[in-house]
Amino acid sequence: MKRNQRILLASAALALMLCSSSALNAQTRVTVGVTETIETYNPYGDSVSLLYGIWSEVTGPFCTYNYAKGDFEGRLAERWKVENPTTWIFSLSKNYKFNDGSTVTADDVVHSLMNRVIGDPQSKQKASVAPSVVKAEAVDRFTVKIITDKPTAPLLSFLCDRLIVTSKAVFDKYGRDAADKEHMMGGGPYRLKELIPGQRLVLEKRPDHPDAKKHPRAPDEIVYRIMREPEQRVTALLNDEIQIAQFVPPHMRQRVQSTKNLRITPVDSVEIMFLAMQPKPPFDKKEVRQAVCHAINRDQIISTLLQGEASRLDGPIGPGQYGYDPNLKPKMNYDPEKAKKLLAQAGYPNGVDVELQTPVGRYTLDKQITEAMIPMLNAVGFRAKLLTPEWATLWANVQKGTIPFYYMGRGSVQDPSAALHQYFHSKETPRIGYVNPKLDELLDKEQQELDPKKRRQYLSQAMSILTDEAPACFMWRHKLLWGLNNRVDYKPLPDARIYGIDMAVKR
Amino acid sequence: MTSYLARRLAGTIPVLLLISLLVFLLIHAAPGDPTLLLLGEETNAADIAKAKAHWGLDQPIYVQYGKFLVSVAGGDFGKSFKYAEPVIGVIKSRLPATIELAIFAILIATLMAIPLGVWAGSKPNSWIDNLGTTFGLFGISMPSFWLAIMLILLLAGVLNILPTSGRSTYGIAGPEQTGFYILDSIMQRNGRAVWDALTHIFLPALALGINMLGILMRVTRSSILEVMNEDYIQTARAKGLRENKVVWRHVTRNALIPVITVVGLELGTLLSGSIIVETVFSWPGSGSLLITALNARDYPLVTGLVMIYTAAFVAINLIIDGLYAIVDPRICY
Repeated sequence: MKRNQRILLASAALALMLCSSSALNAQTRVTVGVTETIETYNPYGDSVSLLYGIWSEVTGPFCTYNYAKGDFEGRLAERWKVENPTTWIFSLSKNYKFNDGSTVTADDVVHSLMNRVIGDPQSKQKASVAPSVVKAEAVDRFTVKIITDKPTAPLLSFLCDRLIVTSKAVFDKYGRDAADKEHMMGGGPYRLKELIPGQRLVLEKRPDHPDAKKHPRAPDEIVYRIMREPEQRVTALLNDEIQIAQFVPPHMRQRVQSTKNLRITPVDSVEIMFLAMQPKPPFDKKEVRQAVCHAINRDQIISTLLQGEASRLDGPIGPGQYGYDPNLKPKMNYDPEKAKKLLAQAGYPNGVDVELQTPVGRYTLDKQITEAMIPMLNAVGFRAKLLTPEWATLWANVQKGTIPFYYMGRGSVQDPSAALHQYFHSKETPRIGYVNPKLDELLDKEQQELDPKKRRQYLSQAMSILTDEAPACFMWRHKLLWGLNNRVDYKPLPDARIYGIDMAVKR
Repeated sequence: MTSYLARRLAGTIPVLLLISLLVFLLIHAAPGDPTLLLLGEETNAADIAKAKAHWGLDQPIYVQYGKFLVSVAGGDFGKSFKYAEPVIGVIKSRLPATIELAIFAILIATLMAIPLGVWAGSKPNSWIDNLGTTFGLFGISMPSFWLAIMLILLLAGVLNILPTSGRSTYGIAGPEQTGFYILDSIMQRNGRAVWDALTHIFLPALALGINMLGILMRVTRSSILEVMNEDYIQTARAKGLRENKVVWRHVTRNALIPVITVVGLELGTLLSGSIIVETVFSWPGSGSLLITALNARDYPLVTGLVMIYTAAFVAINLIIDGLYAIVDPRICY
């Protein structure tokens, strides 16, 4: 071999080595355009889906809901058992370690639950994470006992993907504010690298973490950028400023799909959309409520306005949600003639005035959808008007029970228990104000029944009463459209939580 | 001048008091309960009562207002419900972004509007006058939220030359020192970060400043037209001065007084405009903060922000009054 050839070969080998070494060390980063704001360092200081996901990933999810299996599965809490109707025992994994190498123990879980979620007046999560928890104690280093004030069958739906476990030692050493802001430590596969409130949050992968080892193609960094405007998210996706865009509106789907290297992935959300009716005149009559349900052509709205991006609900919940019963009866099909007859039976043969209230911009095409409902209601004899108050006003009045007729969504319904209690149990909230002792009894029973089979039966019976009595007409679950760059493999979750560990980046 | 300033400063106290009372009453009268909005959907009556007691919302409104005034007198606006941090600290962390944006919006507006207005006014009914007038009308008529979206579509989307939103690209800027990204990057001699910050600020500043640009352009044009007919301008021309010199030295200087007044008034509009523009461009300033605070019915933060905005507005007017004396030596206080 000539000298020049040898030099050339050596140079090529060196270049190859350098390239492969740099490829091995290359940082992969995925930027996600999200709609919810990231405003505080305090992981317990807000109660929104996205943040539960992010903080859970930093601190290691306590447990998680597997939508494919339709059941909960362990993470930091490897397994659990119900010792008696008000006492749950959780066994922790010994492999979860904080950023400083110390092990996540039962003391940290107890501290997080009792001192941060329940005891801290600055916590915004007590109602969502631990509504019935009265006590948590460490049985040993890796076992936690949680005691509730009443039998709470859906306890896992409160704790999983929501309970954020932070270090007790760090809290004791630095105090709450400094612990959160300057020494944020978790036992999860990612750690907090940067937070600029109102702008972005950056997570960095912990390569030594057991979950990170299991998912080597998960991105080294995830940047969450706040982008509230759909146009902004879609444009940024097209420009490769972001690789994942949350919630692409149906009318922008084509723009994304027609772009090379981009795709749309739809996912059925767990947010149920419904028309709620307070049982006050004219909605005090069951026939009027049923007439509303038969008047709305849900299939038409789904196929036209929503361009097929929603799944019709024939009861309070749909497939994949806990307790879904495909044989639930009755079904409120579109039947305008029946609606007219029901309205006449109720004593309104010449029609009746109603005012439908809707939020604007909170749910996909909420204003346009309710605008389309008005002529449908008028066609069967209602004289309907649409009102569009500002969200904070509408929400406050819904919670006080002063709005007779409104379009609303209820998110995070993996297990429907909390949602059904909130809206339909007579002793919970006045949001709808519907009173039915039989329904109350069934809802109480399902909440206290720890046998899954029996609990599903109670839920099914309760949902059948609700569909027939129609204090609400159940409309659909939106399909959430996610815009994705083809460099990223990712299956979005129905609850809109985002876990970097579920992503795989093509290097 | 000193006594005039002292009188004006003393006059701001009742203004601020009145504004604080109005804001306090209005935000408390607005429907929406912060405890319900902040504690989540599943919250119960006991937790709501506990939160109300913690935030002092269980006390009569006049007691709440009295306590607020006492703490404001000591420089404390209370603690934000949402952020659980002192209001002043939260506002301080967001204000530099808004000030930076406002400065750039003013720069864009004045640097374009004044030459355009002078040019249009000095050549009435010419093509440049028609073009300038149309442009001014466009600037005044366009709602900033629509213009912002159009700018994103055109400059970030179709042309792909600017980022869609945010204040900086992750990983480029150095550590924050003053909170003004461009200034920080210059101080750190980080040219890449300066350029990155400039590309991020351009679109929101343009969306924010274009309305001001339209108004300033039209005011400058009218003012120039008025001064052009003054006798001393005819005298200047009769002396044989070149038209350019007449326009820029004699006409423009005299025509600028009403323009300065409008700049001052428009600064207030700029602050309120920033609320929308910051939200559309995800600009982490005090405008988007106000929207977040309003949506959460975060009473202390809303009141604190409005008070700061009011104080800024009053201060701007004082500065503008001071500027009159510099621009027009005939004015003295």
